[in-house]
Amino acid sequence: MTGFVATNAASSGVKIDKKQLKAIARRSDRPGIVYLVQWGLSLGATATLVWLALDTWWLWPAMFLHGVFLTVPSYSFSHETAHGTAFRTRWLNEVVFWLTSLLYMEEPLRRRYTHTNHHTYTWHTNKDSQMPFDTPMDFKGWLIEVSGLALLRFHASHLPKLACGRYSDVVRSVTPESELAKMTRNARIFLAVYGAIAGLIIADVTWPLWFLVLPRLLGGPVMMLFTLIQHVEMQEDSPSILESTRSFKTTWLGRFLYMNMNNHVEHHLYPQVPFYGLEALGEAVADQLPDPDPGVIRTNVEVLSVVIRRSLGMSTKAATIRQAPHMITEGGFERVAQRSVR
Amino acid sequence: MSEWVRVCAADDIDDEDLIRFDHDDRTYAVYRTEKGYFATDGLCTHEDQHLEEGLVTGMVIECPLHGGRFDIPSGKALSAPVCLDLKTYAVRLEGDQLYIEL
Ligand code: FES
Repeated sequence: MTGFVATNAASSGVKIDKKQLKAIARRSDRPGIVYLVQWGLSLGATATLVWLALDTWWLWPAMFLHGVFLTVPSYSFSHETAHGTAFRTRWLNEVVFWLTSLLYMEEPLRRRYTHTNHHTYTWHTNKDSQMPFDTPMDFKGWLIEVSGLALLRFHASHLPKLACGRYSDVVRSVTPESELAKMTRNARIFLAVYGAIAGLIIADVTWPLWFLVLPRLLGGPVMMLFTLIQHVEMQEDSPSILESTRSFKTTWLGRFLYMNMNNHVEHHLYPQVPFYGLEALGEAVADQLPDPDPGVIRTNVEVLSVVIRRSLGMSTKAATIRQAPHMITEGGFERVAQRSVR
Repeated sequence: MSEWVRVCAADDIDDEDLIRFDHDDRTYAVYRTEKGYFATDGLCTHEDQHLEEGLVTGMVIECPLHGGRFDIPSGKALSAPVCLDLKTYAVRLEGDQLYIEL
């Protein structure tokens, strides 16, 4: 890392009193356990809807709803536990990390180490290993991203590679040598679990299809709509999180599903703050931050409008959301970054 | 040959906290914990991030950048993404002044 200052509060010129930060970042098991229970109860409710809708036309909307509650929190929880901030008790954190990564379908250590790299080099071309799409984004890129196809392809390919002990340049560059063998072990276990589920379905046991596999696929695009707007249209290669990252408003439901990661600027400034402290952190540094963009739906609608117009060679100025200056053109664009999730 | 170098007044470090101490082109972290004062290298062994903004919880320091955790007295790396231990240094309290052995 010689000569490079990691992208965080210091590199962004944001300050907070250390005692106040310590109070906000203090660890506890309670919020994580409460979240786990609430998530379990909501999954129980949506799974009941799926069960009631079996053999009716309502099965698909029910599976979609169940899929949203299955997929978005599995992403959010595996992210929070990758940071080690979800619980004070470490083993609890690691168990939930492992299980939610299984649902999210990424080998946990790969997830953790590429994510540490994403925090060190947030939105830096050829350095950030979690840039999920080419920038600036056009409509084709949007379709591939939001459909979940690119992520699905990545998920389908990275596990067999890791299971065979084949580590990509990205994995080798971010992972301590001593962790590689554990990655291989985890990938083999993951493949065995997925293989067992596939085996059940082939043997005509259909419940995994209705309660797990199809909901996971149907919920994928909703998860992508949350993650897409974290950095899309923002500045690449900036030391400042305020320029590379977006916070956005959302409803209580959005906050629940996304574990408060709509405070995404705040999360990148101080990644040691747990999900339950992000709102307080946002208030504490509000005068140093840009206003959050509008809600998930509005922000996504504006992003979609921008990428369609970019593909049509029209003006790409968004109505209200923040954009890096070079994202706004009157037609045509130059590619800045290539997708690095591979 | 080692020498004892004055760091600061003991009260300059808050309870369950640390300060940064720079000396001779090197940087250290000096901690005040429930079990007394300790010192380690200042830079995390994962990616050279200084630990000064890290959180001390009990006898553990957590790196502010990626949350890697070290046992303060032994410098032992406790959890990913840190795998290498921190070097530790002896600390002595003389009157109300803290010294570390370098
Ligand atoms: S720099 Fe300390 S955990 Fe990564």
